Amino acid sequence: MKAIGKLAVVFLFMTLTIASSAQSAFPDGTAISLLQWRHFVPRHDEWFDGYAAEWGAVNNVAVQIDRVNFAELPATLAAELEAGAGHTIIELISSSAAFVEGLHDLSDINQRALDLYGEQLQHCRNGSYLPALGVYFSFAHGYFFNHGNYDIALWTQAGFPKGPQTYADLLAGGRAIYEVTGIPLGIGLSPEIDSEMALRELLWSFGGSIQDENENVTLDSAATIAAVSYMAQLQQQAMTAEVFGWTGASNNQALIAGEVSFILNPDSAYRSLQNVDEAGAANIGFTPGLAGPAGAIAGSFINSSVIPAYVSGDELRAAKQFILDLSADYSDATYHSELFNLPCFPAAVSELDTWLESDPFGSVPADKFAVLKPALEGLATLGYPGPSNPAIGQAYGEHIIPNMFAQVALGATNAEEAVAQAAQRVEEIFTRWREKGLIGGGQ
Amino acid sequence: MNLLGLGKYPLDNRRLIGALFLTPALLYILLLVGFPFVLSIAFGFSDVTVGNTDLSYVGFRNFLNVWENDIFRQVFETTIRFTLLSQIFILIFANILAVIFTQDFTGKWFARFIFILPWATPVSLAMIGWLWMLDTKYSPIDYLLLQMGLLGRGGLLSDNRNLFWLAAPDLAQISVIFVQVWRMTPLATVILMAGLSSIPTDILDQAEVDGSRFMRTLLQIKLPLILPIMVIALLFSMITMFGDMTVVYVLTRGGPVDYTRVLGLYSFQVGIEGGNLAQGAAISLFAFPLLLAMAIFMLRTASRAEVR
Repeated sequence: MKAIGKLAVVFLFMTLTIASSAQSAFPDGTAISLLQWRHFVPRHDEWFDGYAAEWGAVNNVAVQIDRVNFAELPATLAAELEAGAGHTIIELISSSAAFVEGLHDLSDINQRALDLYGEQLQHCRNGSYLPALGVYFSFAHGYFFNHGNYDIALWTQAGFPKGPQTYADLLAGGRAIYEVTGIPLGIGLSPEIDSEMALRELLWSFGGSIQDENENVTLDSAATIAAVSYMAQLQQQAMTAEVFGWTGASNNQALIAGEVSFILNPDSAYRSLQNVDEAGAANIGFTPGLAGPAGAIAGSFINSSVIPAYVSGDELRAAKQFILDLSADYSDATYHSELFNLPCFPAAVSELDTWLESDPFGSVPADKFAVLKPALEGLATLGYPGPSNPAIGQAYGEHIIPNMFAQVALGATNAEEAVAQAAQRVEEIFTRWREKGLIGGGQ
Repeated sequence: MNLLGLGKYPLDNRRLIGALFLTPALLYILLLVGFPFVLSIAFGFSDVTVGNTDLSYVGFRNFLNVWENDIFRQVFETTIRFTLLSQIFILIFANILAVIFTQDFTGKWFARFIFILPWATPVSLAMIGWLWMLDTKYSPIDYLLLQMGLLGRGGLLSDNRNLFWLAAPDLAQISVIFVQVWRMTPLATVILMAGLSSIPTDILDQAEVDGSRFMRTLLQIKLPLILPIMVIALLFSMITMFGDMTVVYVLTRGGPVDYTRVLGLYSFQVGIEGGNLAQGAAISLFAFPLLLAMAIFMLRTASRAEVR
């Protein structure tokens, strides 16, 4: 009887195994293609190629990966939606909410991920969910966040051995360093990605924002004017005109050249320095978001996947499975991006705390990243404190925020006028998208 | 062959042969110019977005919204200013170079070859080259100025080690205009050279016999004779530049602030990067009436000059 019982168990196990493998494998000929941005940490893309190939082999799906510069992704997605053909999954950094009507609602896999991997961080949800329609226009699997990277030797001499902790410290220390050594701060005031986020962080930490959490425009405020005035002072006293021409590569260039005392950037600039100058990297310390009158709010970009509406059938099923499985394996994504990609579902990367306490990539000291841990609890993304809706996306595309800050720093106008002008344009943008029914607010 | 051009064989038929020769150009214009143009008009009068290309008619609302936008008006003015300033320099340089390159001198063909390169190089590639040349930190031009003592502490031009070509408002505007002139001058020169070469030699010989010197021949004979072709060169150059966004997209992305933002770039930022396709199309269409009026005026000028 025992033998029969064992046989029955083995038979049942085999049946279940075959059934589950038949369910997960896709029919012959299934293929998906991914369009990604070239990662700032090259090791990530090497790993991802292998990961995707392996996933394809296990699931009987041909996986093709194409990569472009991150700035080209919105234009490529727009062209593919217009053509009704193109890649299966497109990975984006900036808000893709404006594309929502041409994308699949990914509520199902977002819900499935919540069931599988537990809670999702709020800023990731804000970057992928559109309340006005009640849909997830993307699946946010990870994020990278801006933190302070400071020159330890210079800031120690200026009396801030742990680097600046507040915007007041940044002004006092940055100015002192610039006056004595001629080495400026490096916070962009230019129409590009790093300036967009750095200036939003400043705005939020001063209590300003483009919108409130209900998607009403709130830009024209005393807090915004204070932030803009502060930035003008900071630029004029502690930076050169270089920041008006800042590009996506400037943070890296300046940190590696040792020609800035402080930048706001994810860890990619530091990792680049680590690759070429270990001693120089050891002299770089991190600070979480700088505190302003309204607290310390660090900004983050969301790594999200979207699936265009033209994708269907097995291709769509395979795409959703790929996205879900990637979140399950997010430890690898975080590790191979050298802690650049952080998980939107923290439970999926149980090693994160350990890695932050002891950097697996040879930082000196090993716990260099530990100081960033508290910041991970309350990050913001484009649209904070509300969602990254299409109006926020258009304000980003038109570079309204960096231009508002820059024109005052250049002395072209005063803070009140610059803020009023920017707020007027933002209001026009919001009105237009509200008429389309794609954002809420308007009360 | 009869008066209608009908011959014995099909290929002797002037009408047929004319239509055949024109077909590729017509197809090109219809598919790559006409269709996108009609599409952008349709977009401009609709509320289309990058995610939803259903065309719902909204009348002139997009155009009115765009016109009320302060940033747009500034961008429009910048575009006109850049175009006009560039054309002045292009016209001066193209005339000088065309005269030089139609003279006989050793190495003329090599000089012509080198000179045409800016026009022959793909624009995006050329702009990346200029991006490096004008880099805010590692510009080779700054390096040379630094070595000459013109930059750095006590330097004549600046105390800084850099001039910040693409970051200082004035220099960024000058840089963009300079690069446009660098890029467009060869085409204008080649067109003018063709014009100069087409002047009948007997006219020039007659002038020489009559004792006309170089400047007088140039100003009173050559330039008036090539005026129609000069207007065409100018028209090509102006239209190309007015609609161009590549130069500023690569060099400055419109910064610092809006100082180098031109119509093509703004249309792209609003329509594609901002997702508001309808308003992006409306912005781009604002250039059309201006360019059309300009083209009609210039072609008439050329035609009148030709008749005389």
